[in-house]
Amino acid sequence: MRKVSKLLLIGVACTSSVGCVTVRPEQRAVLADPIMRFDGNAEEESARQHVLENREGSFGGGSVEGGGCGCN
Amino acid sequence: MSEVVSRANHSAAQHHTGPTSRRVTRALSAGACLWALMLGGAGETQAQVADLDVRTTVFTEPSPDSEMTVLNPSIRLSVTPWDALSVHAGYEADIVSGASEPTKSGGISPDIVSHASVTDVRHVASGGITLRRKETTLSVSYGYGTESDYRSQSISVSGATEFLKRNTRLELSYSRGFDQVCNINYAASLSPTLRPRLDSSTGCFTSADDRQTDDVDLDSFQGAWTQTWTPVLATQLVLTGGLQHGFLGNPYRAVVIGPGGQLAQEHHPENRARGAAALRMRYYIKGMDTAVGLGVRGYSDTWDVLSQTYELEAERYLLKWLRLLVRGRYYRQSGALFWSDDYTGGEPKSGPRGQYWTGDRELSPLSSYLLGGRVLMNFHGRPGDRVIGMFLDLDASFGLDVIKTNLDEFTWAGGEVNDTFATVASVGLGASF
Repeated sequence: MRKVSKLLLIGVACTSSVGCVTVRPEQRAVLADPIMRFDGNAEEESARQHVLENREGSFGGGSVEGGGCGCN
Repeated sequence: MSEVVSRANHSAAQHHTGPTSRRVTRALSAGACLWALMLGGAGETQAQVADLDVRTTVFTEPSPDSEMTVLNPSIRLSVTPWDALSVHAGYEADIVSGASEPTKSGGISPDIVSHASVTDVRHVASGGITLRRKETTLSVSYGYGTESDYRSQSISVSGATEFLKRNTRLELSYSRGFDQVCNINYAASLSPTLRPRLDSSTGCFTSADDRQTDDVDLDSFQGAWTQTWTPVLATQLVLTGGLQHGFLGNPYRAVVIGPGGQLAQEHHPENRARGAAALRMRYYIKGMDTAVGLGVRGYSDTWDVLSQTYELEAERYLLKWLRLLVRGRYYRQSGALFWSDDYTGGEPKSGPRGQYWTGDRELSPLSSYLLGGRVLMNFHGRPGDRVIGMFLDLDASFGLDVIKTNLDEFTWAGGEVNDTFATVASVGLGASF
């Protein structure tokens, strides 16, 4: 029960902290740069993942679009 | 939006009169309204951008006994006629040539090591659409792959939205695969211990008596949460789940399962549930003008394969138009519950190792190291000032990764495996018109 309470508390704290985060549009110059994107070169990353998944027993958890640009 | 409706009405009125024409007019108006609604408020801006990406990846595994080369050319075209809509289509191929080991044995039968030559080509065609409205994106795509012994179809849908002033992005996606694998025709009642391996792809997907087709169903679910925390820090949490059902082994592979050298086709469970969780971070170090990425991933499945992955990469501009990325990756996994390098050592008749057998090194305990990098040249243009008078954006990249795999238990009939070093080179060209 204590563990569940702790996890709930951590979850609530995380959710609340997200609500307080505000990076304003004029502060996004760095975040909008392609080098800050999680899928910086999606086609190349896809080909690399294809190779790795054929040599390993696991899959999933790959990068998806979004690096905080907020500019689409 | 209203211009589209009025043009449709006007066009219909010119060609029809009477009740029929009114019905046609109403139908056209409704269609135009639907189209305009789909495009949404962003429809006034016509993007009219086409992105073309041409890429070739070459995978090489140099080995004195089991060399392998896979050439992967691909082309992808994405057209965005309006900001609210993108349509994409692509094609890629895997051209495989080299050697593989059709028979897996452990140390007890050291004479059974064979290397068979492999040549095959896999073609994959795909296409899809993406709809955007304000902070929301919806995508649907379809892919079809074919090779001499395997066919695949997949449908994927995904939705993403941004909120909290676009500091938070959530994405959910689902894909369903309907695959078919060619196999040797045997009675379902035939004991797995007596099933022979498939010797060639001749006759696959035809009415040949000695061939059958087995289904493989694949479901994948993914959720991703991307969060910006400060002007130089963003994180991403990705959760992936997968369900596989059907023939999940390699029909060409046989495993020695008896001390006398008795062979049987590789036999895997028909179901596998898989899950992965990855957490990534990107941080820009101002003092070094460098973006650093850190990633950690955990994976688990119902075959008892557990893995962990650690990634580190750094990217910076060498020149305004030239970027350099270096990366490293460490991967470690445990073996499957039924994994054994040698099934002839008195394995129990019941229990996972007595019920299933594999010759797949991907199901053995292993670790791997990856080191690599990429150089990317990027030139930006504008509508009135295009690159070479033609492109809005032009980039060219060259990447090289080297991978070293350490197999803890997997052997070739008790001997050391010598195809554990691989390189992945890629050359890409991207252009926006």
